[in-house]
Amino acid sequence: MIALAIKNFLRSKVAVASLLFILLAGIVSIHIGKQFLQKQEAAIAKTAAFQKEHIHRNVQFFDKEIGLLLYYLKFSLVNKPSNLNALSIGQRDVNVTIQSVTIKNLEAQKYDTDLYNPSNLLAGNLDYSFVLIYLFPLLIIALSYNLLSEEKEGETWRLISVQAKNPLRYLWQKLAIRAVAVYAALAVILGYAMVILSLLLNAAFIAVVCLSVMYIAFWFALSFWAMSWHKSSSVNAVSLLSFWMLLTIVCPAVANSYLINKYPVPEAMHTAIEQRDGYHEKWDMDKRITTDAFYTHYPQFKKYPLPNKQFSWLWYYAMQQMGDDDAKEQATAMQKKLRLREQVSNNIARPVPTIFTQLQLNNLTHSGLSNHLDFLDSTNKFHEKMRLYFYPKIFEEAAVNEQDWHQWQVEYFGKEEKVKWIKLLLPLAILIVVLLVPGYINLKRMKNM
Amino acid sequence: MRKEVLILLAKQVLNNAVRNKAVLALCGIILLLMAYAAFSGYSAYKKQTESRKKNEAEIRHNWEHMPDKHPHRMAHYGYIAFRPKAALSFFDFGIESYTGNAVFLEAHRQNTVNFSEAGFSTGLLRFGEISIALVLQLLVPLLLFFLGFNTIAAERENNTLKVLLSQGANWKEIIAGKSLGLLTMALLLLLPAVIMTVGIWALQNNSSSTGDEVMRLLWLLVSYTVFFAIVSVIAVTVSAISKTAKMALISLIGIWLLFGIVLPRATQALGNWLHPSPSKIEFETAVEKDLIQKGDSHNPDDAYYKALKDSMLKAYKASSVEQLPFNYGGFQMKEGEKISAQIYTKHLDSLLDTYESQNGVARATSFVNPFMAIKNVSMAFSGTDFGAYTRFQKEAEAYRYRLAQHMNDLQMKLISNKKLADTAKPYSISKAYWAAFPDFSYKPLSQKEVMKNEIISIIALVFWIAVLLIIINRLSKKLKAI
Repeated sequence: MIALAIKNFLRSKVAVASLLFILLAGIVSIHIGKQFLQKQEAAIAKTAAFQKEHIHRNVQFFDKEIGLLLYYLKFSLVNKPSNLNALSIGQRDVNVTIQSVTIKNLEAQKYDTDLYNPSNLLAGNLDYSFVLIYLFPLLIIALSYNLLSEEKEGETWRLISVQAKNPLRYLWQKLAIRAVAVYAALAVILGYAMVILSLLLNAAFIAVVCLSVMYIAFWFALSFWAMSWHKSSSVNAVSLLSFWMLLTIVCPAVANSYLINKYPVPEAMHTAIEQRDGYHEKWDMDKRITTDAFYTHYPQFKKYPLPNKQFSWLWYYAMQQMGDDDAKEQATAMQKKLRLREQVSNNIARPVPTIFTQLQLNNLTHSGLSNHLDFLDSTNKFHEKMRLYFYPKIFEEAAVNEQDWHQWQVEYFGKEEKVKWIKLLLPLAILIVVLLVPGYINLKRMKNM
Repeated sequence: MRKEVLILLAKQVLNNAVRNKAVLALCGIILLLMAYAAFSGYSAYKKQTESRKKNEAEIRHNWEHMPDKHPHRMAHYGYIAFRPKAALSFFDFGIESYTGNAVFLEAHRQNTVNFSEAGFSTGLLRFGEISIALVLQLLVPLLLFFLGFNTIAAERENNTLKVLLSQGANWKEIIAGKSLGLLTMALLLLLPAVIMTVGIWALQNNSSSTGDEVMRLLWLLVSYTVFFAIVSVIAVTVSAISKTAKMALISLIGIWLLFGIVLPRATQALGNWLHPSPSKIEFETAVEKDLIQKGDSHNPDDAYYKALKDSMLKAYKASSVEQLPFNYGGFQMKEGEKISAQIYTKHLDSLLDTYESQNGVARATSFVNPFMAIKNVSMAFSGTDFGAYTRFQKEAEAYRYRLAQHMNDLQMKLISNKKLADTAKPYSISKAYWAAFPDFSYKPLSQKEVMKNEIISIIALVFWIAVLLIIINRLSKKLKAI
């Protein structure tokens, strides 16, 4: 009987067409991810070359005053994307991957955005995460919405209930055939991704695979539950599609607007305003106010007194420092608010498989907000390191030509995180059980009818 | 076609709809979501506008209260321009969540527009936002498809279609009448959307609202009516050509998914692939390369600036810049600003052209996908589309340029050419000059410019009406009752 069921499945035009469609979409999505990755990598390579040339050129022009030279010199820190990033572009297309900063006021530099076409962002990326989260459920719905109802509508169900010892098992077999087909499609797409993106079989990739498997299982469980209602094919199709719409469009949008309204980020603008005033107002103040604050921040530089000149680089960089120091409170508040947003989203996501899967994929591929916030923190440290290295040189008026300028290569930020398996898989597992149990009970009851 | 027959058929569709509990439930959900979208859109507009106005006032106040100083210091102090939310943004959020909200404007440098909602997002935003426009563009069509799939197919299955035809109704009347019924249903849902939109618009109406906005609202109303007419006819036509009602439903769901969800994303990706845009580093190095080629003001031995100096000295018969009747530093910066702004604008324009070409690919598919046409038209008339954003970006850059050059002019006129001793107090001018420089303000695109931008989408909507009329005409000769 199972052979016939397989034959029957493969004869269905809808089944074959939708499987081919998902394979095509999956393969396209991998290439879109790869294109994105390549663009990032090209930009990183270009930045490395540019930094070398940029330092070389400016060192020639401004060879007399190291203070003036450092006014222009930019140093880059790169948030290196992993190849896995191609599977879920996440927030990487909005947030910068490369920070190029001078040792001046950092708060004025680190929020500079990348160049992007906002219409692309609005449309969204057709990456693997989209295929998994939006399209795979549709495939599952298309393949299983009439699993039971077609037999009833075709008047074959009565035959089956009479002939088969266990009609329920027949349903399971039909569902299993579809599950095998869907998981085979997933395997083809992920296998293709492994080859095209040269992915390593590491914990992060295995986590992506497990998450995908569980997410798909959730939709099978949902279809199974809907099947147990004994409704007509049309009702099944409409209700499953409504669930899909609820989970992919309505719930995330409502959650998003809740988050935005509940946790707005006015601190961003305040930071922008305060860092600017914090620095500029110092030009019109007694220099002592600035340098005293500077010495309080860096007691180790007290040994460099303020030169008795109208303009000095010590005073200038102390003023720049004050931009950061004055905006610090707002900047920290902004970081805290964004971390809070991240935490609240993760909480909201747990019972909503679409949001949950997307956020987890972003986490695993280092393309979420938390990765960007970590990168910003790392930018702070990078910037501070450069400052502490160059401040004494500037204050001592070190000779430009005696410095080793070749040592300043592009630096990389990368953070390895352990996969938290239970947090990753448990929420979906719970939802699957919650759907399977009532579905099973409903169908059992039917058998006895 | 007879009017009575059309009205009769349309009424039948409406009666069926009202009797269907699932449809009523869906209508309820749609209305609820619409109300929610209107509320959240309005509160976002109100909050953003209030905080923007407060920030703008602070920026202006600080600007005017800067003490006497050297004008070039003022050019570096600069300005922060905030992007106002469009008055109709609560109706269609468009791309506003993805564009920055503030840009720092200073001499010599074109900064990026920073702090977009997308940048603060945890990734939730990328699922999309619910605005009244989204409900009208996706959910109402889905309802029409759910209602429309059995308009003809079910009558055929129940054998009532034969009766209908034998009683004298012709195919054209049947398709038109049933479509009219669906359209009426859609308009019944459009009505609360219009009431909410006009209500909120009146609520937030400040004196600056103009006849232009009234026209935009009217155009939105017309566009959505046309769109719903297209969707209604598609639903009825598919129902007419499908063998069973079930097949009609599956086809319509497929069409909805393809038009509403898959194609917009896929075509934008295609545009991205066909018209690759430069990365930030590529863009910046290209600008810098052009600048250095023209003349590098940082290079003390630069030929261009040397020649400029010599020509000035010659024209004024002076032997050094100190003898010139104006401040030479100001003059040189003015020249530098002119050159760098020209080069930057050239590159920016070409970048925006690339983005336009990317968007153009998706826009061109409006002839295949009416959902794309309404999406673009709706955003454009709401003032939340790509065109509206680039207008802000360009106006901000124009203001930045005026500010920098104004300060250079003041320096040339009012600052002495004599170099000061190291310990002397620097030159400064009166703070009265700051207040005299006008605040940043900008005029959004007019309704006519919007139409010019979206002419292709508008033509596509008209094209769809024409194509559907032709299809109805053809089908009415071919369709069978059984």
